[in-house]
Amino acid sequence: MAALPRRIIKETQRLMQEPVPGISAVPDDSNARYFHVIVTGPEDSPFEGGLFKLELFLPEDYPMSAPKVRFITKIYHPNIDRLGRICLDILKDKWSPALQIRTVLLSIQALLSAPNPDDPLANDVAELWKVNESEAIRNAREWTRRYAMDN
Amino acid sequence: MEDTMTSSQGGESDMDCSDNEYYDEYYYTLNDDIDIEQIDPRKIDPEYFEFNCLFEEQVDRLLNETVETLSNMHQISPSLAKVLLHSHQWNIQEVTRKFKENPTQTLIASRIKPPSPPISLTFSRYINCPVCVTSQSFDKFYSLSCAHMFCKDCWTMHFEVQINQGISTSIACMARECKVLAPEDFVLKHLHRPNMREKYQQFSFQDYVKSHPELKFCPGPNCSIVVHSQEPKAKRTTCSQCKTIFCFRCGCDYHAPTECQVIKKWLTKCADDSETANYISAHTKDCPKCHICIEKNGGCNHMQCYNCKHDFCWMCLGDWKSHGSEYYECSRYRENPNIAHESVHAQAREALKKYLHYYERWENHSKSLKLEEQTLEKLRSRINQKVMSGLGTWIDWQYLFTAANLLAKCRYTLQYTYPYAYYMDGGSRKELFEYQQAQLEAEIENLSWKIERAETTDRGDLENQMDIAEKRRTTLLKDFLDV
Repeated sequence: MAALPRRIIKETQRLMQEPVPGISAVPDDSNARYFHVIVTGPEDSPFEGGLFKLELFLPEDYPMSAPKVRFITKIYHPNIDRLGRICLDILKDKWSPALQIRTVLLSIQALLSAPNPDDPLANDVAELWKVNESEAIRNAREWTRRYAMDN
Repeated sequence: MEDTMTSSQGGESDMDCSDNEYYDEYYYTLNDDIDIEQIDPRKIDPEYFEFNCLFEEQVDRLLNETVETLSNMHQISPSLAKVLLHSHQWNIQEVTRKFKENPTQTLIASRIKPPSPPISLTFSRYINCPVCVTSQSFDKFYSLSCAHMFCKDCWTMHFEVQINQGISTSIACMARECKVLAPEDFVLKHLHRPNMREKYQQFSFQDYVKSHPELKFCPGPNCSIVVHSQEPKAKRTTCSQCKTIFCFRCGCDYHAPTECQVIKKWLTKCADDSETANYISAHTKDCPKCHICIEKNGGCNHMQCYNCKHDFCWMCLGDWKSHGSEYYECSRYRENPNIAHESVHAQAREALKKYLHYYERWENHSKSLKLEEQTLEKLRSRINQKVMSGLGTWIDWQYLFTAANLLAKCRYTLQYTYPYAYYMDGGSRKELFEYQQAQLEAEIENLSWKIERAETTDRGDLENQMDIAEKRRTTLLKDFLDV
């Protein structure tokens, strides 16, 4: 693999030195483009108290192309599907090379605080979120307890 | 298929002017007469359409002329003129009007300028590029009108990544949430690899043609022709290079009298598998007399109910005794007047029945068209034999090819009348349509019969039949083609 671009080195250093509150992102020992991410469920959200594992990969043409991010921990959320894929505009058409790993992870954390059932990825979850929000929130809490709280 | 729909339609071939003075005079008077009557081809021929087939260089010239006009008019660079025109469907009057009304707003709406004026603050000799986080001297940095500075290498990389994704005219600034577009000159300044420059120009060309309402790519395989018409309507267009016939508006197979959206709906419906599933589930009918459920398990349409022994037609559910005397009674679809009171299952069956009625006829004419192509081939070899054995010349038999072409043209229109009828609301207009459709169908079958037996048919008789069929076709189109 070609030498790591200065941009990635700088970003990694800053993530280590000044980590974002509630988020940890550690590069893999064997691949500096692959990050092990843990996001804590935001306060006052049904995900509160949970620790959510994600994987983040910087593609060859990063930062001209967006990083690839996926939830590994199961989560009950209208914009995240069964496979952990995330529906977030800045990961797709709204990506800008001026955005960073840090800003992407902050946006994902914000998505946990403010689910958007009008732009769904998981249709069944979004549907319930719209017709019976309290039940959907109960489900999200239950999933957080079951999948994001062990260890 | 015949290609008489070019701009030359209606004009007679150039007559040879003889040197005989008397004849000259006669010829000119005749010409004057035509001038007085001056028939508008649009009125006689509902399918009349003026268009030109252009090569890429000709399209480039056409686009560049518009760009130059706008650029000179408002003293802006050709690149910016291109962005403005592209965002206004190449309507130069519209751009000019908006530009005169509010130039700033026009530039913002076309994503040439940022919504609020940029704040430029860096005047130091070295800048840190926010993308590659490398500090470089000021002269290595470039920005669009929004003043977001990035180093030239990052711009190059950004453009290359975007172009590799097929994006060209809509590449924006790299800054977060900045919508300002990179105009052509700015992009080309940063592209050094020849294949990248070529790709960029190719993709932009496609974007420009697609945004131009008067231009359409020929849908023919590997054909690079662009058709230009100042009257962008759903009319029949024939490519001068590959001879593909298509609708100018939607680029699909020509579909008069059916509209673009309707034919799209119809073709989707025909391709939809759910219709097949529906077909299987609804492959039963109730006996019209005792209403017991009957499954059709043979080819014959003459059904006898095993329960009440009633004889009926599977096609129209009419009594078999009175059936067969009136041919077209079975071609016209009759809605069940009591359908609203029937069960959901019966309604589904009814909907499917209606669809299948039209689908079968649509499919049947499509097959006939293909079969008639074979007839034409046979005809060709038979005529060849005749010419070889001295029975007339090639020219003597040309009228048969004209007839076969006309037959194909008529049948093609007939095929496309079925989706039209399927989506039509019931009422007197539909009755008129189906009456004309039946008339056209009958004349087409007559013509087909006469062409198949060409040698024994009198030429005058055949030409008469051609005339009748074509008149029926144009009458139907005049009354129902709405473009």
